[in-house]
Amino acid sequence: MTTIFGIPAALLFGQLLLGLINGAFYATLSLGLAVIFGMMNIANFAHGALYMMGAVGAWFLLDAFGVGYWTSLFLCPLLVGIVGILLERLILRRVSHLDHLYGMLLTFGLALIIQGLFRFAFGSSGLPYAIPEALSGGTNLGFMFLPHYRGWVILVALVICFATWYAIEKTRLGAYLRAATENPALVQAFGINVPAMIMFTYGAGAALAAFAGVLAAPILQVSPTMGADLLIVIFAVVVIGGLGSIKGAIVAGFSAGILEGLTKAFYPEASTTVVFVLMALVLLIWPAGLFGSKTQSASTSVVLPALANETSLMRWALFAAMALSLAVAPVFVYPAFLMKAMTYALFACAFNLMAGYGRLVSFGHAMFIGTAGYVTAYVIKGWGFPPELAILAGTASASLLGLVAGWLSTRSSGVYFAMISLALAQMIYFVALQAPFTGGEDGIQSVPRGVLFGLFDLSDPAVLYVFVLLVFLGGFLFIAALVRSPFGQILKAIREHEPRARSLGFSTEHYKLAVFVISATLSGLAGSMKVLVTQIASLTDVHWLMSGEVILMTFLGGVGTLYGPVVGAFVVVAMQNYLAALGAWVSVIHGAIFVVCILAFRRGIVGELISYVSARQARSVAAGTRADAPDVVARRLKAGA
Amino acid sequence: MGDVLRVRALEAWYGESKVLHGMGFRLAEGEVVTLLGRNGAGKTTTLKSIMGLMERRAGSILYRGEELIAARSVGIARRGIAYCPEERGIFASLSVQENLELPPRVAPSGMATHEILELFPNLRERLGSFGTRLSGGEQQMLALARILRTGARLLLLDEPTEGLAPIIIKQIRNTISRLKALGFTILLVEQNVAFARALADRNYIVETGLIVDEIAAGEFERRLGSIQGYLGI
Ligand SMILES: Nc1ncnc2c1ncn2[C@@H]1O[C@H](COP(=O)(O)OP(=O)(O)OP(=O)(O)O)[C@@H](O)[C@H]1O
Ligand SMILES: [Mg+2]
Repeated sequence: MTTIFGIPAALLFGQLLLGLINGAFYATLSLGLAVIFGMMNIANFAHGALYMMGAVGAWFLLDAFGVGYWTSLFLCPLLVGIVGILLERLILRRVSHLDHLYGMLLTFGLALIIQGLFRFAFGSSGLPYAIPEALSGGTNLGFMFLPHYRGWVILVALVICFATWYAIEKTRLGAYLRAATENPALVQAFGINVPAMIMFTYGAGAALAAFAGVLAAPILQVSPTMGADLLIVIFAVVVIGGLGSIKGAIVAGFSAGILEGLTKAFYPEASTTVVFVLMALVLLIWPAGLFGSKTQSASTSVVLPALANETSLMRWALFAAMALSLAVAPVFVYPAFLMKAMTYALFACAFNLMAGYGRLVSFGHAMFIGTAGYVTAYVIKGWGFPPELAILAGTASASLLGLVAGWLSTRSSGVYFAMISLALAQMIYFVALQAPFTGGEDGIQSVPRGVLFGLFDLSDPAVLYVFVLLVFLGGFLFIAALVRSPFGQILKAIREHEPRARSLGFSTEHYKLAVFVISATLSGLAGSMKVLVTQIASLTDVHWLMSGEVILMTFLGGVGTLYGPVVGAFVVVAMQNYLAALGAWVSVIHGAIFVVCILAFRRGIVGELISYVSARQARSVAAGTRADAPDVVARRLKAGA
Repeated sequence: MGDVLRVRALEAWYGESKVLHGMGFRLAEGEVVTLLGRNGAGKTTTLKSIMGLMERRAGSILYRGEELIAARSVGIARRGIAYCPEERGIFASLSVQENLELPPRVAPSGMATHEILELFPNLRERLGSFGTRLSGGEQQMLALARILRTGARLLLLDEPTEGLAPIIIKQIRNTISRLKALGFTILLVEQNVAFARALADRNYIVETGLIVDEIAAGEFERRLGSIQGYLGI
C-alpha cells in the first residue's frame, strides 16, 4: 500500500475529496453571504436556515409528494428564493434605513424562528435522503475511488461559483449591483430601482443557499439543525476571504475545505478547529481578509437613551430599590431562579458595557462565561480549590481569553466584528467539546460549592444567596461607575464618531480593547458564579445559543441602559423556566421576541421607558438642560487632563 | 406655461436642521441657468431635492407641469432629469465603460456611445480602466458623459469645474455650450463667476437656503460688483 508522509494514499485522497466537497458547500454558501453583504451590509444569520430549508424541503417533497431529486434541485431554490424575497420585503426592509446591526439581529431572530419551526415539524434527528439513481455508483480513478455523486457536487459548485462571479463582475446587471453597493442613492437617482434590486439579491442569495441544501441532502445529515453550525464555519470562511469579496468567498471556501480534509488525514483532532485557526492567522496579517477592501461605516445611528436630568439621588434611590427587592425576593420567589437570573443579569450587564457603550456587538460572548465556568469547575473538582480562588481562576481565564480575542477582533467593527467574535467562540466550543478535561458532552457535573474564605459555607442556600446577591450588586455598581467615569465618556465619544475621537488624539483601539477585556472579565465572573449556583459546567454555556441569549436579554431590556440588561435577563430566564416544557417552541419564541423587539421597540423595555419619561420631562421643561454631546465632553476631558 | 422646471417655496431638512427656506426659480426650455452662492448656501441641497434625494422636503417642484415633490428618485430620473453630483460619483469598482453605460435610457433620444466619445475624446482610450484610476478632469468628463446616454433633457450639474485646472475648465465649458446648442436645458451650480458668465442665460444668487437675487446674462457686466459681493470674493 502506498503511503504519503506516513498516511495511506487512499485515506489521504479520500479526505481530500471530502475536503473538496465541504469546500464546495463553503464556497457556495459564502458566495451568497458575500453578495447579500455587498448589497445590504448585513451578515445574514438566516443563511444557514435557508440552506437547511433547501435540504429539508427536498426531503419533504420526496416524502410527502414523491417529488424526486432533479425536480427538487430546481423547485426548492425557487420556493426558498420566494421566501427570501418575502422576508426582505416584509421584514428586513423595515430596518434598512437604520444601523445595519438591526438588520443583522433581525436575521438572527428569523433564523431561530425558522429552525425552531422546522424542528417542531420534522424533529431533530437525521432524515434519510437517497442519492439519485443516475448518479449512484462511482468510478475507480486508479489512485482512488470517486463516487459519482461527489464528483457531481464538486462540478456543480464550481460551475455555480464561476457563473455567479461572472454575473457580478462581467455583466450589466452585475455592474448595477456593484454600483449600488458603492453608492445606492446615486444609482437610484439614475432611475434604477435599488430597493427592488436588494430584494431580488436577497432572494437570489436565499435560492443559492437552498440549492446548496438540496445538493447536500444525499450526502450530509439532513436535519433542521444542519444549517446552524455550518453557518459559523461559513462566517469564518467569509472573514478569511474578505467581507464582500466574491473571489475571496470562492477561494477561501475551497481552501478551507481542502485544509480541513488534510487536517483530518494528518491530525484528526484539530479538524473542527482548523478553519477558525486559519481565520485568526489571516486576521493577524490581513485585518480585512485576503481579498477584502470594503470599509465599515464608523458612525452609528443607535441612539442611547438617557434621562435629561437625573440626579445622583435618583440613581442611588433606584439602585437601593433594586438591591432591596432582590434581598427580600427569596421570600416570594424560588431562590434558585433568582440566583440564576442574577448571574445572567451580570453577564448581560457585562455584554451591554461593550455592546451598548462600546458599540461592539459580539456574537460570541458565550466563550467567556463558558470558559470561566469550565475553569472554575475544574479547579474545584480536580484540584480542590476553595471557591474564592476558583472564582479568581475562572475570571482570570476569561480576561486572558478576552485579551486574545479582543486583540484579534477589535481592530474591525460592525458586521465584521460580529462574525469574528462568533467564529472565535465556535473555536472555543470545539475545544470544549474535545479537550480531555471538560468532560465532553456531559460537562463537569456535581461541582461542590465549598466554603468561602474558610468561613462561609456556600452549601447553605441562604449564604449562597447573599453571596450571589453581593457579587451581582458589586458588579453592577462597578459597571455603573465605569460608564460615568472619564473612560466611559471617551467610549461614548468613540462610539458616536470614531474618526473624530481619533482626531482628538484618543487611541481608539486601546479603548476598545480595554472595554472588551473588562467585559470579558465580568462575563467570566458571571460564569464562575453560575457554576457555584448550578454546580455544573457544560457545553450549553459555550454554545452560540448562549451568545444569542445574552444579546436577546440586552436588547429586550434596553441596550445602552444600566438597568435594561437586568430586566432583560430576568424576563428571559423566567421565560426559560416557565416555557421549558414547550421544547422546540422556546427557540421560536426567542426568535419572535427578537423580531418584535427590533421592529417595534428598538430601545428595549427600559429604553422605551426612559424615552417616555424624557419626552414628558422635555414637554414640561421647555428649555431643559440637555446633556452634553459626548465629543464635547471628551474634548473637555482632554483639555482638562 | 413653457417652463421645463418651476420650483416654488422649496424647503428641505437634514434631520432636524432646515437648510432650504423657500427656494423659488424657473427654467425655460433650452436655457442654461446657474445657482451661484457661497459654500453651504444650499445649492447642492436644492439639486438633491429636485432629484428626490432628500429625505424630507416640502413645497412644489413642477417638471413640465407635473408635480414631483412627492416622487421618488427612481421615478424622477425616469421622467428625464439627470444629475451629475458634486463629488462626481464615479464608481470605483466599475470600469469606465461600465460607468458610462450604467444609467439606463429613459428616452429614445439618448446619445449613442460613439457620439458621446466624440464629445469627450480623451475618454476613449480609458474605457477599460477602472473608475477611480482617472484624473479629476477625466472623472468630471465621465460624470458628464454618463448622463448624456440616458436621453434626459434636463441636466442638473453640481460644480463641474470644482478643483480643475483652467485648461480642463475651458474644455468643460465648450462641452456645455455644445450641449446647450443641442437643446439641453441645464441647471448649473457654480462658484466660478467667469464660467457662469460664459454660459448662463440667467443667474440666481442663493444665500442661506433662499434665492436673494436674479441676474440675467445682459446685466452680468453691470452687476459684477454685487455678484462678487454675494460670493464674498
Ligand atoms: N448630509 C448633511 N447633513 C447635515 N447637514 C448638511 C448635510 N449636507 C449639507 N448640510 C448643510 O446644509 C447646508 C447646505 O449645504 P449644501 O451642500 O447644499 O451647500 P452648497 O451650497 O452646495 O455648498 P458648497 O458650495 O460648499 O457645495 C450647509 O449648511 C451644510 O452644512
Ligand atoms: Mg455643494
